[in-house]
Amino acid sequence: MHGSPDCELSSRSEAMAPNINSTLPLLLLFLLFTLHLSSVSAWKKEEFRTCNQTPFCKRARSRKPHSSSLFATDVAILNGALTANLRQPPPESPDQDQIKPLLFTLSVYQNGVVRVKIDEDPSLGPPKKRFEVPDVILPEFESTKLWLQRFQTETVDGDSGPSSVVHVADGYEAVLRHNPFEVYVREKQGKRRVLSLNSHGLFDFEQLRVKQEGDDWEERFKGHTDVRPYGPQSISFDVSFFDADFVYGIPEHASSFALRPTRGPGVDDSEPYRLFNLDVFEFIHDSPFGLYGSIPFMLGHGKARGTSGFFWLNAAEMQIDVLGSGWDAESGILLPESGSRIDTLWMSEAGIVDTFFFIGPGPKDVVRQYTSVTGMPAMPQLFSTAYHQCRWNYRDEEDVENIDSKFDEHDIPYDVLWLDIEHTDGKRYFTWDRVLFPNPEQMQNKLAAKGRHMVTIVDPHIKRDESFHLHKEATSKGYYVKDATGKDYDGWCWPGSSSYLDMLNPEIRSWWSEKFSLKHYVGSTPWLYIWNDMNEPSVFNGPEVTMPRDALHYGGVEHRELHNAYGYYFHMATSDGLVKRGDGKDRPFVLSRAFFSGSQRHGAVWTGDNTADWDQLRVSVPMILTLGLTGMTFSGADVGGYFGNPETELLVRWYQLGAYYPFFRAHAHQDTKRREPWLFGDRNTELMRDAIHTRYALLPYFYTLFREANTSGVPVMRPLWMEFPSDKATFSNDEAFMVGNSLLVQGIYTERAKYASVYLPGGQSWYDLRTGIIYKGGTTHKLEVSEETIPAFHRAGTIIPRKDRYRRSSTQMANDPYTLVIALNSSHAAEGELYIDNGKSFEFKQGAYIHRHFVFSDGKVTSSSLVPKASKTLFSSACVIERIIVLGHSSGPKKALIEPSNRKAEIEVGPLWLQRGKSAPVLTIRRPNVPVADDWTIKIL
Amino acid sequence: MKIYIVIPNLFLILGVLFISQIGRSASKSLLSTDPFLGIAPQDENYYKTSSEIFKCKDGSKKLNRAQVNDDFCDCPDASDEPGTSACPGGKFYCRNAGHVPLLLFSSRVNDGICDCCDGSDEYDGKVKCPNTCWEAGKVARDKLKKKIATYKEGVTLRKQQIEQAKLAIAKEEEELSKLKSEEKILKGLVQQLKDRKEQIEKAEEKERLQKEEEEKKRREAEEEANKEKSKAEKEANQEKNEVKEQVGSEEEPMESTHDDKIGVLDHDPLDQDVEEDKSNSVAEVEHTDKSENASPTDGIEQHAAEGKEESPVVHETDLHAGNEVSPTSDQATKQENDVAENTEGLSREELGRLVASRWTGENTGQHTEEVDAVKHDHHESHEETPEDTHAEEYDGYASETDDDSQRYDNDDMEDPVDEDFGEEDHYDSSPPYKSDTEDESDFSDITSTSNPSWLEKIQQTVRNILNAVNLFQTPVDKSEAAHIRKEYDESSAKLSKMQSRISSLAQKLKHDFGPEKEFYSFYDQCFENKENKYVYKLCPFKQASQEEGHSTTRLGRWDKFEDSYRTMLFSNGEKCWNGPDRSLKVKLRCGLKNEVTDVDEPSRCEYVALLSTPALCLEEKLKELQQKLELMNQEQPQGHDEL
Repeated sequence: MHGSPDCELSSRSEAMAPNINSTLPLLLLFLLFTLHLSSVSAWKKEEFRTCNQTPFCKRARSRKPHSSSLFATDVAILNGALTANLRQPPPESPDQDQIKPLLFTLSVYQNGVVRVKIDEDPSLGPPKKRFEVPDVILPEFESTKLWLQRFQTETVDGDSGPSSVVHVADGYEAVLRHNPFEVYVREKQGKRRVLSLNSHGLFDFEQLRVKQEGDDWEERFKGHTDVRPYGPQSISFDVSFFDADFVYGIPEHASSFALRPTRGPGVDDSEPYRLFNLDVFEFIHDSPFGLYGSIPFMLGHGKARGTSGFFWLNAAEMQIDVLGSGWDAESGILLPESGSRIDTLWMSEAGIVDTFFFIGPGPKDVVRQYTSVTGMPAMPQLFSTAYHQCRWNYRDEEDVENIDSKFDEHDIPYDVLWLDIEHTDGKRYFTWDRVLFPNPEQMQNKLAAKGRHMVTIVDPHIKRDESFHLHKEATSKGYYVKDATGKDYDGWCWPGSSSYLDMLNPEIRSWWSEKFSLKHYVGSTPWLYIWNDMNEPSVFNGPEVTMPRDALHYGGVEHRELHNAYGYYFHMATSDGLVKRGDGKDRPFVLSRAFFSGSQRHGAVWTGDNTADWDQLRVSVPMILTLGLTGMTFSGADVGGYFGNPETELLVRWYQLGAYYPFFRAHAHQDTKRREPWLFGDRNTELMRDAIHTRYALLPYFYTLFREANTSGVPVMRPLWMEFPSDKATFSNDEAFMVGNSLLVQGIYTERAKYASVYLPGGQSWYDLRTGIIYKGGTTHKLEVSEETIPAFHRAGTIIPRKDRYRRSSTQMANDPYTLVIALNSSHAAEGELYIDNGKSFEFKQGAYIHRHFVFSDGKVTSSSLVPKASKTLFSSACVIERIIVLGHSSGPKKALIEPSNRKAEIEVGPLWLQRGKSAPVLTIRRPNVPVADDWTIKIL
Repeated sequence: MKIYIVIPNLFLILGVLFISQIGRSASKSLLSTDPFLGIAPQDENYYKTSSEIFKCKDGSKKLNRAQVNDDFCDCPDASDEPGTSACPGGKFYCRNAGHVPLLLFSSRVNDGICDCCDGSDEYDGKVKCPNTCWEAGKVARDKLKKKIATYKEGVTLRKQQIEQAKLAIAKEEEELSKLKSEEKILKGLVQQLKDRKEQIEKAEEKERLQKEEEEKKRREAEEEANKEKSKAEKEANQEKNEVKEQVGSEEEPMESTHDDKIGVLDHDPLDQDVEEDKSNSVAEVEHTDKSENASPTDGIEQHAAEGKEESPVVHETDLHAGNEVSPTSDQATKQENDVAENTEGLSREELGRLVASRWTGENTGQHTEEVDAVKHDHHESHEETPEDTHAEEYDGYASETDDDSQRYDNDDMEDPVDEDFGEEDHYDSSPPYKSDTEDESDFSDITSTSNPSWLEKIQQTVRNILNAVNLFQTPVDKSEAAHIRKEYDESSAKLSKMQSRISSLAQKLKHDFGPEKEFYSFYDQCFENKENKYVYKLCPFKQASQEEGHSTTRLGRWDKFEDSYRTMLFSNGEKCWNGPDRSLKVKLRCGLKNEVTDVDEPSRCEYVALLSTPALCLEEKLKELQQKLELMNQEQPQGHDEL
């Protein structure tokens, strides 16, 4: 199975060498020319490997369907799981290696999760244990395992041999087909497949080897050599999603939301989707190339059945092909008839097969199932869901003070001011440039006096400077990642020569987390939070701007095996540090650039170094949608675009869109012009202020959604089909998105747009968020577009809680009254929720929160608690509801009766938004002033 | 006097505390009972009518009186809620007796932060805001007084400067017109002399030809006689001469090229400013040439030009120091090539630096060392700076009380520099000096208007000469001819000097020196400021540069005044790697000396400096400040009366 040696590839590339040489001068000339044209150099495509330059990928891609000859034997129930050995027929010629049997385990978990593991058999003496990614699967997940007692045997598809079948959940079964080896989940009724592995026989598992005389496994790329001491060890297999119109997920790529085929008829010369965490300079907006983070989780969705999901827990480089229909036409394989099916090919350089099948059947079920394995998104601090102001760099304390006061001068709220790398003393993190920042505590306290917070950057590379205490300590304790020869790995990053802490080791993570205490981090305050950048890790002089694959980690793990999770462990350790700093009472806020499955438990991420152009504004939506779908709901893109100077119109549009990102931060490269919201004339200041105000007004709604994500995994920002799963018109729409279940937003992605086509799904109506004008659902509307706002709609039948008073920051809004906006559907009903807690501590986990359910029906609105009855009130709020707006109600009534207090409130025709001229008059209950924490009913008389 | 002030102070503070206590205990009812909270005095009549109907100020809506300040926003223009936070975009007025009144955004009302020094914006009982108006007011008044004192003195200085400028300009204009008329005369004389000289030369030529003719005839006769003699010898000589000529003609052009180059590149260090411009344009021109028809023979010059563009910090003199390429530009060029080339040839460190430079846009060489060096300098220069400590509450007023919302103007009242006014001895920053681009001593002979006779003298001399020399007299009188030549040379040299003076004067007078010519004196001055390791040099109407050791970076050429003569703009400076062309904005403010006080780079390669100068001490602004002080003083007795 490892029959095609790597030397074959190297000889082939040698053959190509002369050819390259002859074109090199021309190429150089061209490059020089382009360099002269634009001083800004673009994406360095040639620095990153293609599939063809990656031996395991090239081999896997060239394999023909049905080339796997594995079959299952010794099927049994062991420790509550279905187990088997996977064997291969004896080789036909004696010089072919006989592979050792592989261990197969299938276990079933609550709520429709099937886990399939395949690994080398430790009892057969492999050279070393293959890497299993630790600390990603929730410890409590194991307790949801359904202890299998038995399996049935049946013959399927006219096979000569048997298949083993186990029960999964109501209506679902998992099937292990023995020969040929195949594993799949199917519906009990009608036996329709849902998800399958190795249906096309592309399974391949390269076993570890001990180097023999004459073996040359070295790989060379761009002057870097990877010694590969255990030889090729890749794994690949095909996965099929049945009844799926599209597949989604596997971030991070700057590309469309619905994943386009990468192979098959009509697809020319495309790369697979690559999962390899990389610091890509000036990435382009439409490419399957790997970016900063990796989540090997894919969802299939179709009108016929619904949604399913597949997750491969593996942190090595992965390449995934989405195979266009007809890709296997030559092979003659015919799978059972199933409307639509999408086949995919998964390839990884190392690790084991540890895969999870999620049966759905709804989109929200799949994300719930996925997050039951990898963890729910952390509940963020309230302030971190508001607006963040960042730049590389706010230079000094005077600059910080000036920026802060300008926000006040222009009455623009913001919650967090960020400091990039230049605030440090020579890029030694945890230190301050004392010339620029002589009094960091005082600076932070000044911000804190206005309820504002600060974030400083802490990267994983440590400056190799003997006088730097962190470096000294890490060196003496042996805490650095080692190179292939066992010496501390020395790479180049911002501080110059640097080393990287081995975050795989729990002891080192614990040591690291101590560094965030107020005592150790001199100049920090409790109002200071952290930003982890460059944690792919970015190594300027490493292969593909990252760490060599043969670098060594804790327990002899090679970097190739855990690469995609390095940033995850770093993020985790930093986040733990902030929890420790706050004595377990303060929720951490840590933004990370690199991520992996499970990162949602540790904080927020953003889409990295984007560029100030319209295409990148557009691609931010599918990128964030994909992140949300794969657990990382707290994510956003740099508002304004990191590289380059946005035109004013683009900047304004970006604020208008960014106001709906779950993570809302403006950021800019140091070479760009200043672009704070007040620098573009009064009108544009007004527009950007208005966009930010919209976010602040909707904070109660956003916070409620973050809580929903925290309990269910369902993302804050959702694709339309998550709310309208059977509306086919929504499946590939990635220009519009839902915020929660109540709000539909569509960006404006072109210059001087006059019209926008907006598809409003479903059978119910939609109310323009700003004007209250009603639009019919289920059709595409051609709308006139103004500079004032991007299209946004309130879904009929839902209730959105707002706070309409703007303050300097979200902190001062704590006591402000609420506005409820009720959008009635065709049966004059609506419902919504509001979640409130103290916004910062973990007490909500003990039940210290308010969770209200608002229902409008029969002409009255009722507030009831969603908190389980048993828990006593641990959190209360004196806030009242000052205004209830009812959209879609006739404007006759003049009074409303409030129960139980038996008071009357006046009803008038008022504006949908204060201070925003254009809104249609709407029915407004004036000053009901009912406590938000109480049960009450208000009846329109 | 002092005692008299202190006692009422105490009373006031106690009184205010007392009143605010009462106010606080009644705060809950205040919210609903005081319908006049947050209303500015000029609006009081609008609100304090007996009518039961209230009209929104914009006329859009009629309300019940009870709806005013009921903590619910009714008017689209926020006018029904001057005292609460219910309307976004509303304004809350606090009297701040003892200090200046303030109009706050209504978003500040009951937000838990004390904004008004009298504490009136926080009345819901959630926070306690002590009344700090008296102390804050006193500090503000003192600062304002100091500022007024500065302005007073500055206004006088400004007037003097304007007077001087007007005189000087008048003088220069007079000089210019005088020079122009003299130029006309001198031109005529020079022409006459030239004509005369040419006539003489013609005559001399004629004489010479005659002589040659005679000589020739004589020699021919002699040669005829010697013809037979030594024929072979003569042939040999001839051959030799031919060879010599050939060698000479090959060598000469090469030498001249070489000379040309040196002529362009070499220069007198005293002329540096002028020469720098020249060499820049040379570099630019050559660069353009190259990109149009890349000729490989351009060699070194092209290389230098390239290095220059890509690495803005190349020392200017590198270009002039012979034809050697400086190491810096060499490095820059190499770096560029490396980007295009395969990165495989690089050492690990070079590769690291190269990739890092994509983000930072910095030269990859010795980057970190430089940074460290900056830091070191930083520390040294800042340690002596006294810490800037001012009352925090005061910050809130800067933008509200001062019309100037400019970033630096906000600091006006707080800037420690202001407090130093009047103690000029303490300044140890280098004083402004004369711009060295023109050496006027050269013109002393023609510009000295006190001595008008020189022209007459020349005229007389010329007349004498012309009369004395007889044109048609042959042979030409040798001494006369020499005399004319000398006169011609001297006069034409004088003429060209005069013309250059005229053009420089005209050039100068074309500039916009401000509505009252208050910036005239800037023309011949440069101002310097040392920030860390950099020396910034600002020469108004000319150019601005940043010097680091021996290397100079041009931040910009003079562009114009902006913002009604409150900003000077230097633009089109040297190009930034990955950034815009450098530029410098100089914000001007009133001060008693011309002095650059601060240089900053808020966005990459866009510099901002502060220049204090009497030219900005405007009388209207002084009046404004005086009125403001009057207002502040008025507030005091009123505040007192209420007690």
